Amino acid sequence: MEACHTADATALAQARAESLVLGYQTKLARYVRRMVGDAEVALDLTQDVFLSAYRMLQADPSRELTAGWLYRAATNAAISFIRRKKILRVLPLDREIDRNTWRVDERSAASVDLQAALARLPTDQSAALLLTSYVGYSSSEAAAILGTTADAIRQRVCRAMRVLRNVMKEDMK
Amino acid sequence: MTRRGDCAQAEKLAGAVALGEAGNAERDAYRSHLAGCRQCLDALGGEREIERVMAVAARARDSESWEPDLRASLVRRTRPRRAWALAAVLAAAALVVGLRITLPRDFHSPAAPAIMAQEARALAALNTQSIVRPQGRAESLAVGTTTVSTAFEVRVNARGVALRCVITRSSGYRALDDSVCRAAMHAHYSSH
Repeated sequence: MEACHTADATALAQARAESLVLGYQTKLARYVRRMVGDAEVALDLTQDVFLSAYRMLQADPSRELTAGWLYRAATNAAISFIRRKKILRVLPLDREIDRNTWRVDERSAASVDLQAALARLPTDQSAALLLTSYVGYSSSEAAAILGTTADAIRQRVCRAMRVLRNVMKEDMK
Repeated sequence: MTRRGDCAQAEKLAGAVALGEAGNAERDAYRSHLAGCRQCLDALGGEREIERVMAVAARARDSESWEPDLRASLVRRTRPRRAWALAAVLAAAALVVGLRITLPRDFHSPAAPAIMAQEARALAALNTQSIVRPQGRAESLAVGTTTVSTAFEVRVNARGVALRCVITRSSGYRALDDSVCRAAMHAHYSSH
């Protein structure tokens, strides 16, 4: 009886986790890749997020896991990775993006400029900029994900925008 | 409000403009501030300038074509195992399993075919043995006679899935070290 219950819970957790993966894997992995600047790392971290979701669902199949939860977990994972590795997210001066990290067809001026700006930003500003203008959340929604206020998100976005503007100005020179 | 406070408020208004969330009152307040603050005008720009800059993020997003598929690897990592009950107890922390592999004397040959042959044997040994031990214990896997050794650590999660492999003592052969880690990452780790 107990074994049947466990099997049902596992199947339900797997079904719900798969639904989350299908719906968000691309968006979430792209977001994490922008945060950490590396596709391989982004894949690892994104997998870990979905694995955490799966385990939570297995423990409580009725638990509601929203997209906001996924983005919060992904943001924390990315920030934790950056702190742990103490990596410098700095691109080469010629802004040449590593072929292994970025697809050749994604090396548009906009993509390179955005990543160059992200490399200079503190993680809280990167997350605010990406969750809003890249992922599409409002300042209130991003604030709920990051555990802050909408005003703080707007201020961070403004500061991130300044850096992005400077990057674009450098391109013009 | 102090001048500094005005500029901090202007940042929030500019953020609202940047996100398309500013209403008429906020836009008016921002314009009013810029009219008297050259510093903010230079640093942030007017509304059109902000919108021009912010369009870059949307264009970058729209130019992306990377579509990773995580399903296969996640299915592998979430597959139920008989050791699940014990694994659940250990779920709070990943186990670090120290392992050592020893390799035969003729491995010293730097020739690529020799490395490939030994690599195949190392892979076979790793993949066919139950190599899980509790944290801190090491398992030796003998392949032929002992001369060269490579020490590595595999970080394993509670479900027995290898997450990371680090060479803690190199064999002196990069190719071998890499292959050992590859083998270790593909090995099965049960928790009993």
